[in-house]
Amino acid sequence: MEQIIQELKEHLIEELNLEEITPEDIDAEAPLFGDGLGLDSIDALEIILILEKNYGVKLSNSAEAKPVFYSVKTLAEYIVNNRK
Amino acid sequence: MGLYVSNITSDSQVVTDVKVLVPDAGVRRRMSRVIRMAVSTAVECVGGIEGIDGLDAIITATGYGCLADSERFLRNVISDKEDLLNPTPFIQSTFNTVGGQIALLRHNHCYNMTYVNRIHSFEDALLDAFMRAEDGEGGRMLVGAFDERTDSQYEIMKRMGLWRKHDCGEGSVFVLLTSQKEDSSIAEVLEIDFPSDSIGEQDIAQRYGCSDDDVILYNVCCTMEIYPTISASVFAQAVEKIKKGASKVLVYNEMWGMTPTVVILGCIV
Amino acid sequence: MRTAVTGLGIVSASGIGVYENLEALRNGRSGISDFPRILETSNMLPVGEILLINEELAAVAGIGAGKNLSRTALLGIIAVKEALKDAALPDGLRVGLVSSTSVGGMDLTEHFFAEFMNDSSSGRLRDVVMHDCCASTEAIAAYCGIKGYRTTVSTACSSAANAIMIGDRLIRHGILDCVVAGGADALSAFTLNGFKSLRILDDKRCRPFDQTRAGLNLGEGAGYIVLQREALLDKVPYCFLKGYANRNDAHHQTASSEEGNGAFLAMSDALSKAGISPDQVDYVNVHGTGTGNNDLSEGKALKRLFGDKIPYFSSTKGYTGHALAAAGGIEAVYSALAIKYGQVWPNIHFSEPVSELQLVPQTSLLEGADVACVVSNSFGFGGNCSSIVFAKD
Repeated sequence: MEQIIQELKEHLIEELNLEEITPEDIDAEAPLFGDGLGLDSIDALEIILILEKNYGVKLSNSAEAKPVFYSVKTLAEYIVNNRK
Repeated sequence: MGLYVSNITSDSQVVTDVKVLVPDAGVRRRMSRVIRMAVSTAVECVGGIEGIDGLDAIITATGYGCLADSERFLRNVISDKEDLLNPTPFIQSTFNTVGGQIALLRHNHCYNMTYVNRIHSFEDALLDAFMRAEDGEGGRMLVGAFDERTDSQYEIMKRMGLWRKHDCGEGSVFVLLTSQKEDSSIAEVLEIDFPSDSIGEQDIAQRYGCSDDDVILYNVCCTMEIYPTISASVFAQAVEKIKKGASKVLVYNEMWGMTPTVVILGCIV
Repeated sequence: MRTAVTGLGIVSASGIGVYENLEALRNGRSGISDFPRILETSNMLPVGEILLINEELAAVAGIGAGKNLSRTALLGIIAVKEALKDAALPDGLRVGLVSSTSVGGMDLTEHFFAEFMNDSSSGRLRDVVMHDCCASTEAIAAYCGIKGYRTTVSTACSSAANAIMIGDRLIRHGILDCVVAGGADALSAFTLNGFKSLRILDDKRCRPFDQTRAGLNLGEGAGYIVLQREALLDKVPYCFLKGYANRNDAHHQTASSEEGNGAFLAMSDALSKAGISPDQVDYVNVHGTGTGNNDLSEGKALKRLFGDKIPYFSSTKGYTGHALAAAGGIEAVYSALAIKYGQVWPNIHFSEPVSELQLVPQTSLLEGADVACVVSNSFGFGGNCSSIVFAKD
């Protein structure tokens, strides 16, 4: 779990071009969207690709999936629970 | 009512760090090289990000648009066999990305247009501003041109034989225009013309009423490096000549087999 | 001085020419196919495709074999030729062209690039010379004999509406007497995959303004109108171009604002420029792509502008798919036809209003109506929102 959280932070920084942010700067439990890292709907699409490309986990962009996108931790939990 | 140059900025003159010009890291992070170049030039031209607030029109011009992002997405479509594609380069590839980004920086809802007419793009944008000024809808208008060089574009155009006399360049130029003469006005756009055929060097002066003291700049003679909207950079040179005392400067833009354009700048009287 | 609309030209998934499109609209017949048959792609998604290969389109356009024009240019030539024939302009007018496209010659570039990617000395150059947007405009002008001022704009899905506005200005400023204005876009793997990567393509037929809408269907085509200075009219025009506005939503790069700010400003400014009050509008041809975001945002803007007196409205994307830069041109043609024939086109594939809006579009063909004033909306990425107002007089 901790390893996935660390990996996810690195993927987010790389794929979303988060300038001047290190993995240590990202609070795994803080919200990713809105006030937190300030991500938007395009980032949500990129996150779906991070999950699918790196972990083989599919995630839809529907309202039901919203809680999964909440934080790095909720994403990591989703990966652990849905990984084959 | 007329069309007056209040400020003009080329990408090479941008001295302020992009982090100052575009303070929001969230906005900056998705910007490709050409978007960064063009938006920085635009913001510097209006005197900082707050300068966007007072704009009544944002009119951009580009020959080839955001080429690197277009190419990146196309490459991914082919190599990843249409599967699991990142949306960001596609979104950034549209021709109006720069104009949209400038508006978005300060949530400016004004008129927003993008011309993509190869070597005429900048002159078409100027004509739009000219007509808006005549219609009394001018106010403060930001008109800008940008084009980026990519390795693929260089290679393709080399195979077409286009780099025999010139090298492949890139750049962005933004000009702040007003429909009223202001204290800050540095030149007036007197005429924008689209002749249907080439005009010989000996005929230009007579046709446009230029005297011996007036300056005529030919885009293909003013620079070694060219790109589709190079005439915007020659327009910037023309503004410099006016600043240095010329009373009238004509920019003659003709290349790549297209019909010419003529833009005439005059000093403030 | 008014600007009249005197000629129409169109090619869309619903048919080649005004007649075929009119029949499709009157019969509620969608031109959308279940998957691409002409475009080479592995994406088995519904598209508004014109079921002719480029060589066949060239034949329709009356162009000899071996010219290797881009699909966008071919579609544009077919529509512009029809529009000019329809207008039957008197001799001696200064005629110009304001065209628009978002993909330009991408269909040919895709072939070129697949080879070029592996070896930079390969790929046929004739497949990449038409890549830029301007190339299609120049080809249209050359094949249709348009010799006056011409330009090209590209503001994503609002492009053709903006082309029409510029056309009007060129006439008003005395630069031209007559302008052919609109847009053309071909289907391409680039755009189909682009919209797929944004996850806004419905895998069924698009359902604009419906509660169950799940995205758009990409389309292709061309739509152009001939604008003419009123003083030079020698026949009864379809209608007059009364007003227009281009405003930016300035909310997000791709998403529309929740309250439809850009859409509201574009529609209300266009009406005030036309000197027409909202209650005089008979029909709105909405942008209505069928995405969750667009229809909700546009619907909110309609409610803000018209209150509880919403005019007849419908999206025609269910017939043609979303033809991007061409959409505003295709829909300008549909708007002019609505005025001429006193008909309102049904919004097909609708069954249930969006819960937040409770707006019901016109779902059957309305005939014998006095359609005196139509608003046509076109919105795009980059926040570009444009509205055009056409009126009978």
